Amino acid sequence: MSDAAPTGIDDGTTPADPADPLSPGSMLHRLSHQARWGLVATRAIVLEAAHPQIGAALITNSTFVAHPWRRLRNTVLSAQRMVDPDERVRRREAARLNRLHARITGTDAEGRPFNAADPEARAWVVATLFESTVTMCRLSGESLDGPALDRLYAEFRAFLALMDPDGGRLPPTLREFWRYYELMIEERLENTEAVRVILDRLFAQVPAPPLLRDSPAAWAAGRALAGPVATAITVASLPESLRARLGLPELPGTRTLIHTAYLSTRLATRLLPEAWTRLDTIMGMLDPTYSRREGGDALAGLRRGAAKAGALLRLLTPAPQAGAADDSTLRSAARFFSEVLDQTGDGYLDWPDLAAMAREIATRLDLDARDEDRLFTAFADWWRELRKELDTDGDGRVTGQEYAAAAAAMTSSALIRVAEVLFDVTDVDDDQVIDAGEYRALFRAAFDHDAGGGDERLTRAEFVRRFLNFMAGRLHSDAYDRLFAQS
Amino acid sequence: MRDVPHHVACVMDGNGRWAAQRSLPRTAGHQAAEAAVIDVIEAAHTAGVGWLSLYAFSTENWRRPAAEVDVLLWLVRRAIRKHALTLHTRGIRCRFLGGADPRIPPPLARDIDDLMTLTRDNRRMTLTVAFDHGGRRDIVEAARSLIRDGVPPEQVTEESFARHLPHPDMPEVDLVIRTSGEQRISNFMLWQVAYAEWVFPPVLWPDFRAEHFWECLDVYRRRDRRFGGVQVPTATGKGSS
Repeated sequence: MSDAAPTGIDDGTTPADPADPLSPGSMLHRLSHQARWGLVATRAIVLEAAHPQIGAALITNSTFVAHPWRRLRNTVLSAQRMVDPDERVRRREAARLNRLHARITGTDAEGRPFNAADPEARAWVVATLFESTVTMCRLSGESLDGPALDRLYAEFRAFLALMDPDGGRLPPTLREFWRYYELMIEERLENTEAVRVILDRLFAQVPAPPLLRDSPAAWAAGRALAGPVATAITVASLPESLRARLGLPELPGTRTLIHTAYLSTRLATRLLPEAWTRLDTIMGMLDPTYSRREGGDALAGLRRGAAKAGALLRLLTPAPQAGAADDSTLRSAARFFSEVLDQTGDGYLDWPDLAAMAREIATRLDLDARDEDRLFTAFADWWRELRKELDTDGDGRVTGQEYAAAAAAMTSSALIRVAEVLFDVTDVDDDQVIDAGEYRALFRAAFDHDAGGGDERLTRAEFVRRFLNFMAGRLHSDAYDRLFAQS
Repeated sequence: MRDVPHHVACVMDGNGRWAAQRSLPRTAGHQAAEAAVIDVIEAAHTAGVGWLSLYAFSTENWRRPAAEVDVLLWLVRRAIRKHALTLHTRGIRCRFLGGADPRIPPPLARDIDDLMTLTRDNRRMTLTVAFDHGGRRDIVEAARSLIRDGVPPEQVTEESFARHLPHPDMPEVDLVIRTSGEQRISNFMLWQVAYAEWVFPPVLWPDFRAEHFWECLDVYRRRDRRFGGVQVPTATGKGSS
């Protein structure tokens, strides 16, 4: 069985580089490319959400309920960049994350201020990821020995130190960490709204991943079965002290379920070909646009299989009744509001919604600080204008009704400015046209979808025109739907 | 005795007359045609036919009354969805010839696409549905493609031309069955039927069943195919000892 180990997180063969805990030989580097990292991330987000600052930031700013797949994909990509072999990539990503989080501030429902860049909160995020990784290993019967645990902890501390030059707020030793962890659970964590939303709504309402988006009925049926199971597994894997604090009951049988679930992921990771259990593979199967950037052929067979499975599922799903207007190019103002504008899914258009759009663009294009600033400024100006024109009851946010009543007035100078800035930051080589490569970076799709044949270039005027058509005329656009509407 | 034809094509004619004989709307004939299609696919599959092509809908058919066209398209969609899994489990690769017309409703285009994706790796038999197909159009398209590729005139041969047709791996048709006794080509796979044997059973398509199909194969076996020459040498593999 000695050959089975290399797919685990610690194969004991690759020595860690003491000067660089996040080197490609690191446990974290291997883990962040394994599909079961998804389990870790999901469990960790519950623990994070129970932190009042993080919970408030999640509930008011995050798009994770409305667009969980996009969020997962960005998280995965970000984690992989943070352990990239090239240290410059890591530093760049850490700086980007810091900027991103610094923009997420506000006050929660009880008037307490929150700040996503708060060092204590950030340390907790890394702590939950570490503890979730250890738990995943324990539950899947792959217990880490003392030195391995120390090493993994050191790696997570290095991870935090990338974002926090002061070294972060995680205790220096593992012994102290567990005390810190218990203390956090007992004194700091709360049954926040974000925890309830995740447990009650996330799994029950998670929208279909891109692959199955055309089979809503099949997805809903599968989700009705798998959703409660996923919730039960997540709840059962939480620390007992936290479950008690949050008043979460343990359902009979979940112990077995959870061990089975984790054990099967471990077995899958060990026994299946490595390419199959890579996170990229799974993401690629769920979202066919995801892995195109890799360009590798290793996944072609799998993607082919996934495409066939998707095709079969769609063919077996009952077709909508004839006459259903599923091919119209115009959508109602209400649908546009909920699918595109209301990014956080709370029923209102507010700054966090527009900030989420800017954040998505900045993440996709991996913008530097200057371009990111321009983009956010343009979106902020647009928000001010929207609020002035559409927020008729003056409550600081725009409702669906307010939007529908004045939707025609959406083509404003601020929106044109957004389009122009978007063009500028997308046009990386400043040649005043968006070429195929630049187009792909923004929309993650080949050029032809909207271009209607023609040249594989978009001029500034044409780009702005399309953006305005999408935003104001509410015309369907595959490209913009992928960017803003689809999770 | 000759072998089973490698490539059989059916022109599914007679749906309208079948319906008229029963005082039913033409669309009822199209509806009844589905059973014949499934029967023929099964029969061809059992007989060991490698390629089966069905002429379902021609470019000219768009000229029919809109209501009839709508029903026809809806029937095709229903048939695809109903039989996709069976076709796939039988190891049948499904392809469509034509079908790029913007008048094809997007949901149907999607289903066509899905069926091709699902079955593309199957090899037991290839079922080509000539849908919104026109033989001349295919030839014109191939000519355009040749010109676009800048092939010099002296390099244009029958073989190189054929490589520019849709589905260039499709072998020539050995046997065409046109039901209802009509004896016309009707712009069907003009290039591929050049040396095909034709049989014209009088039965209308909705009544066409496996036994009719077997009879047609029998007729084919007894024919002496010449490919324009005097006699086919047995060395081509077509003959039998």
